[in-house]
Amino acid sequence: MDINEFITHFAEQFEETELSEFKPETKFKELDEYCSLIALKLIAMVDEEYDITIKGNDIRNSNTIEDLFNIVKNKE
Amino acid sequence: MAFLKVENVSIKGISGCVPKNVEENINLPFYSSKEEAKKVIEAIGIERRHISTEEITASDLCLKAAEILIEKLGWEKDSIDLLAFCTQNPDYRNHPNSFVVHEKLHLKSNTMCIDFYHGCPGWVVSLSSVATMVQNGYIKRAILLDGDTVTKDQNPNNRESRPLFGEAGTATAIEYTLGAKPIYFESGSQSEDGHALHDEIGGWRKPFDLETIKYTLDLKAGRISEEQMRFKMDSMDVFSFAISKAPKSLKKLCKEFSINIEEIDNIVLHQANKYILENIAKRMNIDMTHVPMSLKNFGNTTSASIPLTFVSELHDKLTTTKQKNLVCGYGTGLSWASAYFETENIVCPKIQEI
Repeated sequence: MDINEFITHFAEQFEETELSEFKPETKFKELDEYCSLIALKLIAMVDEEYDITIKGNDIRNSNTIEDLFNIVKNKE
Repeated sequence: MAFLKVENVSIKGISGCVPKNVEENINLPFYSSKEEAKKVIEAIGIERRHISTEEITASDLCLKAAEILIEKLGWEKDSIDLLAFCTQNPDYRNHPNSFVVHEKLHLKSNTMCIDFYHGCPGWVVSLSSVATMVQNGYIKRAILLDGDTVTKDQNPNNRESRPLFGEAGTATAIEYTLGAKPIYFESGSQSEDGHALHDEIGGWRKPFDLETIKYTLDLKAGRISEEQMRFKMDSMDVFSFAISKAPKSLKKLCKEFSINIEEIDNIVLHQANKYILENIAKRMNIDMTHVPMSLKNFGNTTSASIPLTFVSELHDKLTTTKQKNLVCGYGTGLSWASAYFETENIVCPKIQEI
């Protein structure tokens, strides 16, 4: 699993946020556009792109994009 | 995984009844602007919901649905051998809702009454039980009632659940029919995630006491903030469960019983919200034209949502043609239940209101 590819898929779930805002260390819940629907979109993206099921706690326990990436990676 | 095959049983009719009282999502008080409300409505696909006033219960809604269905079927009351009721909002702690309706419908004394306590997968689960009871031919005719009034103990400040849930009662007529095409079922449970749809107060593990009665009254009156709520639907867990398990269950059912998904007319999914339905359809490579939605005008009507969608969206097709139907309920448990059944010119009166 590649973090850059993950970040690209991650960014695709947002409509208004600048692409340059998405970095491994980005605290995604602090982005203005982040909301409960984006959280669902992220769960759907991980299911679709990686065939991995993540749950609410995986999102809650992630601060940065890299945190979520590592959680998904560990479920591979 | 649990599979079931039920022979010599057919669905003869489906009806529904909703409360007259309507709540428009665009007017909900917690949105800061109409734009914000519109964004939510677009994502969930729900514009309005029918909400019962204080005097209306799930049994009233189902009674009305049953009366019109029995009348349009032309069934003699004495020919009904089984009355089943699936709800999480019974009239009383004792006696069960099926008896309440049995009395009001004036059914015969040797009609069997049975209740099912279940959430969103409830209609499919109850149908599997009722169909199984009918299949040996001793019980010839059964009515399955299904409905909830979930908003009665809902927090009006809950931004997550209030725009979603509506209320409805439904009735389904099931008959012993020698030579009918089989009905197939697949269901299962993921109980370790049951907490995602869980309400602990008021059962026998944690009975009401002075403190929880006060909390419940405060909740209904809108004096409890979202942060203070004890019952919280974990929508992320429910979503993750639904988009993963519902497509898998439907695919397993089709594989086990050699059902060609391309020949299916209607794939009626539990009406959770539009975003979940679109995600399930995408994972099954099916076009949304085969996935009817009653969400726009009725919202998520819990276990009544599948039969309600048959009535509201498929009325014309059901009453005049032969239809191949796949259904899937998912949620409470957490659990899921899928079914395949065919219908031909069934009785399907227009949705009633009380």
